[in-house]
Amino acid sequence: MAEDIQQKLEKYRTAPFDARFPNQNQTRNCWQNYLDYHRCQKALDAKGVDTAPCDWYKSVYKSLCPLSWIEKWDTQREDGTFPGKI
Amino acid sequence: MAHQAHAYHMVDPSPWPLTGAIAALLMTSGLAIWFHFHSTTLMTLGLILLLLTMYQWWRDIIREGTFQGHHTPPVQKGLRYGMILFITSEVFFFLGFFWAFYHSSLAPTPELGGCWPPTGITPLDPFEVPLLNTAVLLASGVTVTWAHHSIMEGERKQAIQSLALTILLGLYFTALQAMEYYEAPFTIADGVYGSTFFVATGFHGLHVIIGSSFLAVCLLRQIQYHFTSEHHFGFEAAAWYWHFVDVVWLFLYVSIYWWGS
Repeated sequence: MAEDIQQKLEKYRTAPFDARFPNQNQTRNCWQNYLDYHRCQKALDAKGVDTAPCDWYKSVYKSLCPLSWIEKWDTQREDGTFPGKI
Repeated sequence: MAHQAHAYHMVDPSPWPLTGAIAALLMTSGLAIWFHFHSTTLMTLGLILLLLTMYQWWRDIIREGTFQGHHTPPVQKGLRYGMILFITSEVFFFLGFFWAFYHSSLAPTPELGGCWPPTGITPLDPFEVPLLNTAVLLASGVTVTWAHHSIMEGERKQAIQSLALTILLGLYFTALQAMEYYEAPFTIADGVYGSTFFVATGFHGLHVIIGSSFLAVCLLRQIQYHFTSEHHFGFEAAAWYWHFVDVVWLFLYVSIYWWGS
Protein backbone atom coordinates (compact mmCIF):
# COMPACT_ATOMS: atom_id res chain seq x y z
CA MET A 1 0.00 0.00 0.00
CA ALA A 2 2.75 2.43 0.92
CA GLU A 3 4.67 1.52 -2.24
CA ASP A 4 1.59 2.31 -4.33
CA ILE A 5 1.42 5.74 -2.75
CA GLN A 6 5.12 6.29 -3.47
CA GLN A 7 4.61 5.22 -7.07
CA LYS A 8 1.58 7.49 -7.37
CA LEU A 9 3.55 10.41 -5.98
CA GLU A 10 6.49 9.73 -8.32
CA LYS A 11 4.22 9.50 -11.35
CA TYR A 12 2.42 12.73 -10.42
CA ARG A 13 2.13 15.34 -13.17
CA THR A 14 -0.85 17.48 -12.19
CA ALA A 15 -4.17 17.26 -10.39
CA PRO A 16 -6.32 14.54 -11.99
CA PHE A 17 -10.02 14.96 -12.82
CA ASP A 18 -12.04 14.82 -9.61
CA ALA A 19 -15.69 13.95 -10.25
CA ARG A 20 -16.65 15.73 -7.04
CA PHE A 21 -15.76 19.01 -8.73
CA PRO A 22 -16.79 18.63 -12.37
CA ASN A 23 -17.30 22.29 -13.30
CA GLN A 24 -15.13 25.20 -14.32
CA ASN A 25 -14.99 26.74 -10.83
CA GLN A 26 -12.33 24.66 -9.05
CA THR A 27 -12.19 26.73 -5.84
CA ARG A 28 -13.79 23.99 -3.80
CA ASN A 29 -11.30 21.44 -5.21
CA CYS A 30 -8.35 23.54 -4.03
CA TRP A 31 -10.00 24.22 -0.65
CA GLN A 32 -10.92 20.58 -0.05
CA ASN A 33 -7.43 19.27 -0.80
CA TYR A 34 -5.81 21.94 1.35
CA LEU A 35 -8.08 20.90 4.23
CA ASP A 36 -7.59 17.19 3.55
CA TYR A 37 -3.78 17.53 3.59
CA HIS A 38 -3.75 19.27 6.95
CA ARG A 39 -6.40 16.99 8.42
CA CYS A 40 -4.42 13.97 7.20
CA GLN A 41 -1.24 15.37 8.77
CA LYS A 42 -3.01 16.01 12.07
CA ALA A 43 -4.70 12.59 12.17
CA LEU A 44 -1.64 10.50 11.23
CA ASP A 45 0.62 12.52 13.53
CA ALA A 46 -1.74 11.83 16.39
CA LYS A 47 -1.50 8.08 15.66
CA GLY A 48 2.28 8.31 15.31
CA VAL A 49 2.16 6.88 11.77
CA ASP A 50 4.16 7.90 8.70
CA THR A 51 2.44 10.87 7.05
CA ALA A 52 3.68 10.16 3.51
CA PRO A 53 0.19 9.34 2.13
CA CYS A 54 -0.80 12.92 2.96
CA ASP A 55 1.61 14.24 0.34
CA TRP A 56 -0.88 13.34 -2.40
CA TYR A 57 -3.26 16.05 -1.16
CA LYS A 58 -0.36 18.45 -0.94
CA SER A 59 0.59 17.82 -4.57
CA VAL A 60 -2.99 18.39 -5.66
CA TYR A 61 -3.54 21.64 -3.81
CA LYS A 62 -0.13 22.93 -4.87
CA SER A 63 -1.18 22.30 -8.48
CA LEU A 64 -4.60 23.89 -8.15
CA CYS A 65 -4.46 26.73 -5.65
CA PRO A 66 -3.27 30.25 -6.35
CA LEU A 67 -0.05 30.87 -4.40
CA SER A 68 -1.58 33.90 -2.65
CA TRP A 69 -4.36 31.71 -1.23
CA ILE A 70 -1.86 29.16 0.11
CA GLU A 71 0.23 31.93 1.69
CA LYS A 72 -2.86 33.55 3.20
CA TRP A 73 -4.17 30.29 4.63
CA ASP A 74 -0.74 29.27 5.99
CA THR A 75 -0.47 32.63 7.75
CA GLN A 76 -4.00 32.27 9.14
CA ARG A 77 -3.16 28.82 10.49
CA GLU A 78 -0.11 30.24 12.25
CA ASP A 79 -2.17 33.11 13.68
CA GLY A 80 -4.97 30.78 14.76
CA THR A 81 -7.48 32.59 12.54
CA PHE A 82 -7.89 29.96 9.84
CA PRO A 83 -11.69 29.60 9.34
CA GLY A 84 -11.65 25.97 8.16
CA LYS A 85 -11.99 22.97 10.45
CA ILE A 86 -8.74 20.98 10.60
CA MET B 1 -77.31 69.76 -11.13
CA ALA B 2 -75.04 67.32 -13.01
CA HIS B 3 -74.52 63.79 -11.66
CA GLN B 4 -72.06 61.19 -12.83
CA ALA B 5 -73.67 58.46 -14.97
CA HIS B 6 -71.22 55.77 -13.76
CA ALA B 7 -70.24 54.11 -10.52
CA TYR B 8 -66.58 55.08 -10.56
CA HIS B 9 -64.80 57.67 -8.45
CA MET B 10 -63.34 60.67 -10.25
CA VAL B 11 -61.13 61.96 -7.45
CA ASP B 12 -61.02 65.70 -6.76
CA PRO B 13 -57.70 67.44 -7.37
CA SER B 14 -55.36 66.82 -4.46
CA PRO B 15 -51.96 68.21 -3.44
CA TRP B 16 -50.85 65.05 -1.64
CA PRO B 17 -49.25 63.22 -4.58
CA LEU B 18 -47.07 66.30 -5.14
CA THR B 19 -46.16 66.68 -1.46
CA GLY B 20 -45.41 62.95 -1.39
CA ALA B 21 -43.08 63.25 -4.35
CA ILE B 22 -41.38 66.27 -2.78
CA ALA B 23 -41.01 64.32 0.45
CA ALA B 24 -39.36 61.46 -1.45
CA LEU B 25 -36.95 63.91 -3.10
CA LEU B 26 -36.10 65.60 0.21
CA MET B 27 -35.56 62.28 2.01
CA THR B 28 -33.27 60.84 -0.66
CA SER B 29 -31.20 63.97 -1.20
CA GLY B 30 -31.31 64.56 2.56
CA LEU B 31 -29.80 61.10 3.04
CA ALA B 32 -26.94 62.00 0.70
CA ILE B 33 -26.44 65.35 2.48
CA TRP B 34 -26.34 63.54 5.80
CA PHE B 35 -23.72 61.10 4.56
CA HIS B 36 -21.42 63.76 3.12
CA PHE B 37 -22.03 66.94 5.13
CA HIS B 38 -23.26 65.61 8.52
CA SER B 39 -26.51 67.62 8.42
CA THR B 40 -29.89 65.92 9.01
CA THR B 41 -32.05 68.99 8.32
CA LEU B 42 -33.10 68.13 4.78
CA MET B 43 -33.84 64.50 5.60
CA THR B 44 -35.87 65.46 8.69
CA LEU B 45 -37.86 67.94 6.60
CA GLY B 46 -38.57 65.18 4.10
CA LEU B 47 -39.66 62.82 6.88
CA ILE B 48 -42.07 65.38 8.34
CA LEU B 49 -43.51 66.08 4.90
CA LEU B 50 -43.91 62.33 4.35
CA LEU B 51 -45.81 61.88 7.60
CA LEU B 52 -48.05 64.84 6.83
CA THR B 53 -48.71 63.50 3.32
CA MET B 54 -49.62 60.04 4.60
CA TYR B 55 -51.91 61.42 7.30
CA GLN B 56 -53.76 63.80 5.02
CA TRP B 57 -53.97 61.56 1.96
CA TRP B 58 -55.37 58.60 3.85
CA ARG B 59 -57.65 60.88 5.89
CA ASP B 60 -59.05 62.16 2.59
CA ILE B 61 -59.61 58.60 1.34
CA ILE B 62 -61.53 57.81 4.52
CA ARG B 63 -63.61 60.96 4.02
CA GLU B 64 -64.33 60.05 0.38
CA GLY B 65 -65.23 56.44 1.16
CA THR B 66 -66.79 56.34 4.60
CA PHE B 67 -68.42 59.79 4.77
CA GLN B 68 -69.16 60.66 1.13
CA GLY B 69 -70.04 57.21 -0.23
CA HIS B 70 -67.67 57.22 -3.20
CA HIS B 71 -66.48 53.64 -2.60
CA THR B 72 -69.09 51.79 -4.65
CA PRO B 73 -68.57 48.06 -5.38
CA PRO B 74 -66.51 48.63 -8.55
CA VAL B 75 -64.40 51.21 -6.74
CA GLN B 76 -63.86 48.80 -3.89
CA LYS B 77 -62.87 46.11 -6.40
CA GLY B 78 -60.19 48.46 -7.71
CA LEU B 79 -58.94 49.07 -4.18
CA ARG B 80 -58.76 45.32 -3.63
CA TYR B 81 -56.71 44.84 -6.78
CA GLY B 82 -54.46 47.67 -5.65
CA MET B 83 -53.77 46.18 -2.25
CA ILE B 84 -53.15 42.74 -3.72
CA LEU B 85 -50.72 44.13 -6.28
CA PHE B 86 -48.92 46.12 -3.60
CA ILE B 87 -48.54 43.08 -1.36
CA THR B 88 -47.32 41.10 -4.37
CA SER B 89 -44.63 43.70 -4.99
CA GLU B 90 -43.57 43.36 -1.34
CA VAL B 91 -43.35 39.60 -1.77
CA PHE B 92 -40.85 40.18 -4.57
CA PHE B 93 -38.97 42.61 -2.35
CA PHE B 94 -38.46 39.93 0.29
CA LEU B 95 -37.75 37.30 -2.35
CA GLY B 96 -34.59 39.23 -3.18
CA PHE B 97 -33.29 39.03 0.36
CA PHE B 98 -34.09 35.35 0.57
CA TRP B 99 -32.19 34.88 -2.69
CA ALA B 100 -29.20 36.65 -1.16
CA PHE B 101 -29.39 34.46 1.94
CA TYR B 102 -29.58 31.19 0.01
CA HIS B 103 -26.87 32.27 -2.44
CA SER B 104 -24.40 32.72 0.41
CA SER B 105 -25.51 29.90 2.69
CA LEU B 106 -25.91 27.02 0.20
CA ALA B 107 -22.29 27.30 -1.03
CA PRO B 108 -20.30 28.91 1.78
CA THR B 109 -16.94 30.25 0.59
CA PRO B 110 -13.49 29.42 2.05
CA GLU B 111 -13.45 32.84 3.69
CA LEU B 112 -16.33 31.63 5.88
CA GLY B 113 -14.62 28.30 6.53
CA GLY B 114 -16.66 26.49 3.90
CA CYS B 115 -19.49 26.04 6.40
CA TRP B 116 -22.75 27.67 7.47
CA PRO B 117 -23.06 29.22 10.01
CA PRO B 118 -19.61 30.62 9.23
CA THR B 119 -16.69 29.98 11.58
CA GLY B 120 -16.92 32.21 14.62
CA ILE B 121 -20.65 32.88 14.37
CA THR B 122 -22.87 31.61 17.21
CA PRO B 123 -26.40 31.70 15.81
CA LEU B 124 -29.47 32.30 17.96
CA ASP B 125 -31.16 29.18 19.29
CA PRO B 126 -34.23 28.77 17.07
CA PHE B 127 -36.17 27.13 19.88
CA GLU B 128 -35.91 30.03 22.29
CA VAL B 129 -37.19 33.59 21.59
CA PRO B 130 -37.56 33.03 17.82
CA LEU B 131 -40.01 30.18 18.51
CA LEU B 132 -41.93 32.40 20.90
CA ASN B 133 -42.05 35.07 18.21
CA THR B 134 -43.48 32.51 15.81
CA ALA B 135 -46.21 31.63 18.30
CA VAL B 136 -46.96 35.32 18.89
CA LEU B 137 -47.45 36.06 15.19
CA LEU B 138 -49.48 32.92 14.56
CA ALA B 139 -51.73 33.85 17.49
CA SER B 140 -52.10 37.36 16.09
CA GLY B 141 -53.26 35.79 12.83
CA VAL B 142 -56.00 34.05 14.77
CA THR B 143 -57.04 37.21 16.64
CA VAL B 144 -57.20 39.29 13.45
CA THR B 145 -59.47 36.64 11.90
CA TRP B 146 -61.58 36.76 15.03
CA ALA B 147 -61.77 40.55 14.62
CA HIS B 148 -62.88 40.16 11.01
CA HIS B 149 -65.68 37.79 11.89
CA SER B 150 -66.74 40.06 14.74
CA ILE B 151 -67.03 42.99 12.34
CA MET B 152 -68.99 40.92 9.83
CA GLU B 153 -71.35 39.74 12.54
CA GLY B 154 -71.86 43.22 13.98
CA GLU B 155 -70.21 42.31 17.29
CA ARG B 156 -68.80 45.71 18.12
CA LYS B 157 -67.23 44.99 21.49
CA GLN B 158 -65.61 41.74 20.38
CA ALA B 159 -64.24 43.42 17.27
CA ILE B 160 -62.60 46.09 19.41
CA GLN B 161 -61.19 43.54 21.84
CA SER B 162 -59.79 41.15 19.24
CA LEU B 163 -58.33 43.97 17.15
CA ALA B 164 -56.68 45.46 20.25
CA LEU B 165 -55.31 42.03 21.16
CA THR B 166 -53.87 41.64 17.65
CA ILE B 167 -52.08 44.97 17.98
CA LEU B 168 -50.74 44.04 21.43
CA LEU B 169 -49.35 40.80 20.04
CA GLY B 170 -47.71 42.79 17.24
CA LEU B 171 -46.13 45.11 19.80
CA TYR B 172 -45.03 42.15 21.89
CA PHE B 173 -43.28 40.67 18.82
CA THR B 174 -41.55 44.00 18.18
CA ALA B 175 -40.40 44.27 21.80
CA LEU B 176 -39.08 40.70 21.83
CA GLN B 177 -37.26 41.21 18.54
CA ALA B 178 -35.74 44.48 19.75
CA MET B 179 -34.42 42.68 22.81
CA GLU B 180 -33.02 39.88 20.62
CA TYR B 181 -31.26 42.48 18.45
CA TYR B 182 -29.72 44.09 21.53
CA GLU B 183 -28.58 40.79 23.03
CA ALA B 184 -27.39 39.08 19.84
CA PRO B 185 -23.75 37.87 19.89
CA PHE B 186 -23.25 39.00 16.27
CA THR B 187 -23.85 42.28 14.44
CA ILE B 188 -24.77 43.39 10.92
CA ALA B 189 -21.05 43.91 10.29
CA ASP B 190 -20.21 40.26 10.94
CA GLY B 191 -19.71 39.07 7.39
CA VAL B 192 -22.41 37.87 5.07
CA TYR B 193 -24.15 36.08 7.96
CA GLY B 194 -24.72 39.35 9.79
CA SER B 195 -25.73 41.16 6.61
CA THR B 196 -28.31 38.62 5.48
CA PHE B 197 -29.68 38.12 8.98
CA PHE B 198 -30.19 41.75 9.95
CA VAL B 199 -31.31 43.05 6.54
CA ALA B 200 -33.93 40.30 6.11
CA THR B 201 -35.20 40.31 9.70
CA GLY B 202 -34.82 44.08 9.92
CA PHE B 203 -37.06 44.77 6.94
CA HIS B 204 -39.49 42.23 8.32
CA GLY B 205 -39.55 44.06 11.67
CA LEU B 206 -40.21 47.33 9.87
CA HIS B 207 -43.18 45.67 8.15
CA VAL B 208 -44.49 44.45 11.52
CA ILE B 209 -44.40 48.04 12.75
CA ILE B 210 -46.17 49.26 9.61
CA GLY B 211 -48.77 46.50 9.90
CA SER B 212 -49.37 47.23 13.58
CA SER B 213 -49.85 50.91 12.76
CA PHE B 214 -52.32 50.06 10.00
CA LEU B 215 -54.26 47.85 12.43
CA ALA B 216 -54.18 50.61 15.06
CA VAL B 217 -55.78 53.02 12.60
CA CYS B 218 -58.44 50.37 11.95
CA LEU B 219 -59.04 50.08 15.70
CA LEU B 220 -59.61 53.83 15.97
CA ARG B 221 -61.96 53.69 12.98
CA GLN B 222 -63.87 50.73 14.39
CA ILE B 223 -64.33 52.61 17.67
CA GLN B 224 -65.65 55.58 15.69
CA TYR B 225 -68.22 53.44 13.83
CA HIS B 226 -66.60 53.70 10.38
CA PHE B 227 -67.01 50.00 9.55
CA THR B 228 -70.27 48.25 8.68
CA SER B 229 -70.78 44.52 8.65
CA GLU B 230 -70.88 44.60 4.83
CA HIS B 231 -68.28 47.26 4.07
CA HIS B 232 -64.94 47.44 5.88
CA PHE B 233 -62.31 47.23 3.20
CA GLY B 234 -59.74 49.26 5.17
CA PHE B 235 -59.80 46.54 7.80
CA GLU B 236 -59.57 43.77 5.23
CA ALA B 237 -56.55 45.42 3.62
CA ALA B 238 -54.89 45.68 7.04
CA ALA B 239 -55.67 42.04 7.76
CA TRP B 240 -54.23 40.89 4.40
CA TYR B 241 -51.08 42.89 5.10
CA TRP B 242 -50.85 41.39 8.56
CA HIS B 243 -51.14 37.82 7.22
CA PHE B 244 -48.46 38.62 4.65
CA VAL B 245 -46.13 39.81 7.47
CA ASP B 246 -46.85 36.58 9.34
CA VAL B 247 -46.06 34.41 6.31
CA VAL B 248 -42.79 36.26 5.68
CA TRP B 249 -41.82 35.56 9.29
CA LEU B 250 -42.56 31.84 8.85
CA PHE B 251 -40.21 31.72 5.87
CA LEU B 252 -37.59 33.71 7.79
CA TYR B 253 -37.89 31.41 10.77
CA VAL B 254 -37.58 28.19 8.78
CA SER B 255 -34.81 29.45 6.46
CA ILE B 256 -32.57 31.72 8.52
CA TYR B 257 -33.25 30.82 12.12
CA TRP B 258 -33.78 27.08 11.85
CA TRP B 259 -32.10 25.70 8.68
CA GLY B 260 -29.46 28.43 8.86
CA SER B 261 -28.30 27.42 12.32
